[in-house]
Amino acid sequence: MVPWDYIVRQLFYGLVSGCMYALMAAGLSLIFGVMKMLNFAHGEFYMIGGYVIYFLVVKFGVDPMLSIFSALIAAFLTGMLIERVFLRPLFGRPAWDLSALTVTIGLSIFLQNFALVFWGEKYKRIPEYIAGTVSIYGIPISLQRVLVVVGSLCLIAVLWGVLHRTMFGKAIRAVAQDPDAASLMGINPRKIFMLTYAISCMLAAFAGALLSPIFMVYPTMGASPFLKGFCVAIFGGLGSFEGAVLGGMLLGLAEVAGIALFGAEWRDVIAFTLLILTLVFKPSGLLGRGE
Amino acid sequence: MGVVSSMSIYGGVSKLKSAVREYPRAILLLFALYLIPLFIRSPYILHLMVLGYIYAILTTSWDLVCGYTGIFSFAHAAFCGIGAYTSSLLSMRMGINPWLTILVGSLTSTGIGFLIALPCLRLRGPYIVIVTLAFSEIARITCSNLVDITRGELGLWGIPPLLQVSGRREYYYLIALSFFAATLLSLYALIRSKMGYALSAIGQDELKARSIGINVTEYKLLAFSISAFFAGLAGGLYAHYVLLLVPSAILSLGLMVEIMTMSLIGGLKSLVGPAIGSFLLVFISEYLRAIGPYRFLIYGLLIMVIVIWAPSGMVLAVRKVGDLIGLTKPIVWKGQK
Repeated sequence: MVPWDYIVRQLFYGLVSGCMYALMAAGLSLIFGVMKMLNFAHGEFYMIGGYVIYFLVVKFGVDPMLSIFSALIAAFLTGMLIERVFLRPLFGRPAWDLSALTVTIGLSIFLQNFALVFWGEKYKRIPEYIAGTVSIYGIPISLQRVLVVVGSLCLIAVLWGVLHRTMFGKAIRAVAQDPDAASLMGINPRKIFMLTYAISCMLAAFAGALLSPIFMVYPTMGASPFLKGFCVAIFGGLGSFEGAVLGGMLLGLAEVAGIALFGAEWRDVIAFTLLILTLVFKPSGLLGRGE
Repeated sequence: MGVVSSMSIYGGVSKLKSAVREYPRAILLLFALYLIPLFIRSPYILHLMVLGYIYAILTTSWDLVCGYTGIFSFAHAAFCGIGAYTSSLLSMRMGINPWLTILVGSLTSTGIGFLIALPCLRLRGPYIVIVTLAFSEIARITCSNLVDITRGELGLWGIPPLLQVSGRREYYYLIALSFFAATLLSLYALIRSKMGYALSAIGQDELKARSIGINVTEYKLLAFSISAFFAGLAGGLYAHYVLLLVPSAILSLGLMVEIMTMSLIGGLKSLVGPAIGSFLLVFISEYLRAIGPYRFLIYGLLIMVIVIWAPSGMVLAVRKVGDLIGLTKPIVWKGQK
């Protein structure tokens, strides 16, 4: 019989990865919902988050919380720049979704190899933001992981509030539904596109910044969260923010169960199988509205 | 399905005959490539050209499914890897002749391509990308985890070579060229057949294609399977030529990125474009060894720049040169508006 504190700890670890998947998937889903494109460079924003933390915290000794905040700003600005330079020229082209996707593939390869060439392939260790453990029902759990879960949930809650309780959020949802109708109401869809892209990139960078003390920082660190994020975004329903969050948590827990059943080396297959099953049986996903 | 496809293939053969009459110079040029080993003796350059032909088989067959049919498939590298691994494992473990196992490997690829195409039928562009991407990652992880069979990331070596005479690059050159010529000609015949026009119609507007009575499902499945066949062929050829397989090289997204870059540089929807792009990239990355670590950095930039500012790739330039020497003109103006 497996000791139950082991089970609880594994479930908690599942929740930690679940938060990461939720943050990644929420951003991808938001971009798809509004811009109708897949952002293949999403993992690289996760990486940017990690590297900002590495340079600020490890190299310059800046306070971790301030560094996380800087990572958010950096990702937001990079996102705006990339949208303006590389994506805007493509708007209105016949196969907009595929050309935007191809461009972001190029961007992803570029950024990944930029980090590889200029910052090296060595894994970089980041000290924990909060040392120590907290004991829940007598089971010790590291505070760093608690911080990840609490931080992610807070950011997700804030974003949900912005999307559903502010005029700006209403504008985003309006553009997602119909950019032409939205522009008739005085909303500038291009501005919304740019801000949506930037906000989504910020979410990815936040995940990267929070998780870098656990998973370390290296050039291809974004690949796996990106692919998982995609599976989750589809599983939850592309374009659905709530679906992405729910799907992320579910995948985190499903992976823990999968590792217990099949072993850790098959971990990544679970997400992909889930993805293909979703697309075969219910392409609109858990909470998606369908096409 | 059988009737339609055999009819299209028959039509393709007759198209090929007319092509030989219509473009004698282009066909002659293809056969002139057979004479190259007489002039170029360097085994190194011949080796690069063999690789170029293998890549060209990959990119031209990807062009069929991506360029013409408009299905952005990310699984092409995986099909190549499946062909390579099936063929080398069969020939290694069961002692079957490599020539036969290459065919079996390609057919395995075709079968898996057919299965992967099934869920893609109901899906639109971006979703297809994800399904094929997920499939190729599953293939890679499976291959590197099944250490007992494939030796995983340690690499599969000791694959029987295609020819018993070792060290004769000329023979490999001729074999690779023949495979490439066969691929190019059959794809060309396919493009010019009724099926080819149907595929182009699907690529341009699926709904309209369906409305004029094109069986979209059947043609998409066929296109996917055929392109998987050639990818498997390229993989088998590669395996029995290079004699070493590593999942992170042949089943990886890196190979897919190379296929994409080559095709985009050459220009999709032209068959000749991706083939030229393959040669160009193989030679550039070999001769500019100084760019070694920057290679993928440059590939990434190239993809972005081409898609944004030169979506038709080099194909325009190629066509202009081809028109000048009378090679490509009729091909261009009949296929496109």
